Amino acid sequence: MARILFTVPPLTGHLNPALAVADALERQGHQIAWAVHAAQIGSKLPDGARVYALDDGEPAADLGSSTPQVRGLESVRVFFEDYALPLAQRMLAPMEAAVRDFVPEVIVVDHQMLGGALVARKLGLPWVSLVTTTASILRMSPVFDAWVAEQYQALQQRYLPASLHVERPDFSPYRVLVFSVDVLVGNTHARIAAPYAFVGPARGEGRRGVEFPWDWLRPERRRILVSLGTVSRDRDTRFFEVMMAALRELPQLQAVMVAPAHLSAQAPDNVLVRDYVPQTELLDRVDGVVCHAGHNTVCESLSRGLPMIVAPIRDDQPVIARQVIDAGAALFMRHGKVTPPTARTLIEKLLADSTLADNARRLSRELLDAPGAAGAAQLIATLALAPALAEVA
Amino acid sequence: MSSRNDEVLDLVIAKIRSTINEDWIQDFEIEPETRFNDDLELESIEFVKIADAIQAHYGTQLDIVGWLSGKSIQELISLSVGELAEFISGAVAGSGVDA
Repeated sequence: MARILFTVPPLTGHLNPALAVADALERQGHQIAWAVHAAQIGSKLPDGARVYALDDGEPAADLGSSTPQVRGLESVRVFFEDYALPLAQRMLAPMEAAVRDFVPEVIVVDHQMLGGALVARKLGLPWVSLVTTTASILRMSPVFDAWVAEQYQALQQRYLPASLHVERPDFSPYRVLVFSVDVLVGNTHARIAAPYAFVGPARGEGRRGVEFPWDWLRPERRRILVSLGTVSRDRDTRFFEVMMAALRELPQLQAVMVAPAHLSAQAPDNVLVRDYVPQTELLDRVDGVVCHAGHNTVCESLSRGLPMIVAPIRDDQPVIARQVIDAGAALFMRHGKVTPPTARTLIEKLLADSTLADNARRLSRELLDAPGAAGAAQLIATLALAPALAEVA
Repeated sequence: MSSRNDEVLDLVIAKIRSTINEDWIQDFEIEPETRFNDDLELESIEFVKIADAIQAHYGTQLDIVGWLSGKSIQELISLSVGELAEFISGAVAGSGVDA
């Protein structure tokens, strides 16, 4: 059995799929360790997990609160310059120490944990990339792609000998595991060349034991979930206020809205405001989703054949939103501009348009047929036990 | 600003409104300083549609995509309605096309 070291950033959307894959590997008898920012996500790891802390005395910046109001392309710039690259720089030394101590056969590196990728490259160990958003594998435009390469180049120059520099050091030459399906990614954009395996959503359980008043849901009503994800939940309240105003005019529906709890004071009777929800269980009981087009929420919703309204804000969300719209399973909503009448029209269409639901069901078959966390674990185990056979680049 | 520049700006603003075609934008004040990313929350696909509509109005001589490809990421992020109108004014004047 193999020793496998995981490294992921302190972000829920990146941790949850990795947890599911690590769990599958552990069940096969492999030994797992984690190199993570323990102050932020140590408590979310399994009991008794072996942890190498990457925090150098102070916790890493929190993505939502360190970059609260940026949107669109600006958020991508800020993500690299203010978050991912400093995180990578600071983790190089502790990550290298973790690898030397644990001596893994393979390292599993989230694609935005660039420091982990550089350490694997420097030490010449087999490693696998986990891609939690398909926006990262696409060529967007010559200006943008060149800028991304430039960001990576600066860090490589400081840490790696020139012979090891590549355009995209974040992608493993062995295996790049993508938590999506090929058909959803579509052909609008060319893809960066890498040894991809599309494994579909990891279907992790995520946060456990979140309390929820299940008896509030009325079986005879149609229901929607409204969520902007963990990073943008506390951004501003305008969007949620618009949604509440729209839903007030749709009393035949029920909506669960993931938003700051203080908003419940102004919620109409048919809207339940919670700051955390058991999302996967809740998705089994709704008819449609209004969301920010976060990659995990999109895949979890589509897996259940749920049509969506997508209101992208930042990071990869505009790209993922476009994928679901192009696949015919979502309607677009402009996050900061939508008005109550437009929101109401869109929600009515979401639940009435059978084409949206048909396309969502078609995608759900693709997503459910994908190998998921177990398939990802199999590919990692193969590489760990026979790296010479698995190397493709 | 010359009257031609004003005409081009008016056209750009009209194409933005008709391409977006949502309730809020009909009375949203669009000025030269208005930024596509921050102020209008425009998707890149919508920017392309606006550029296409402007090209269709003037003919195909305006290489808006080529003009954008010479910009830095920071310039793209802060791109304003006035900058687009200014580029189009210059391109139209250079090609001798009547607005």
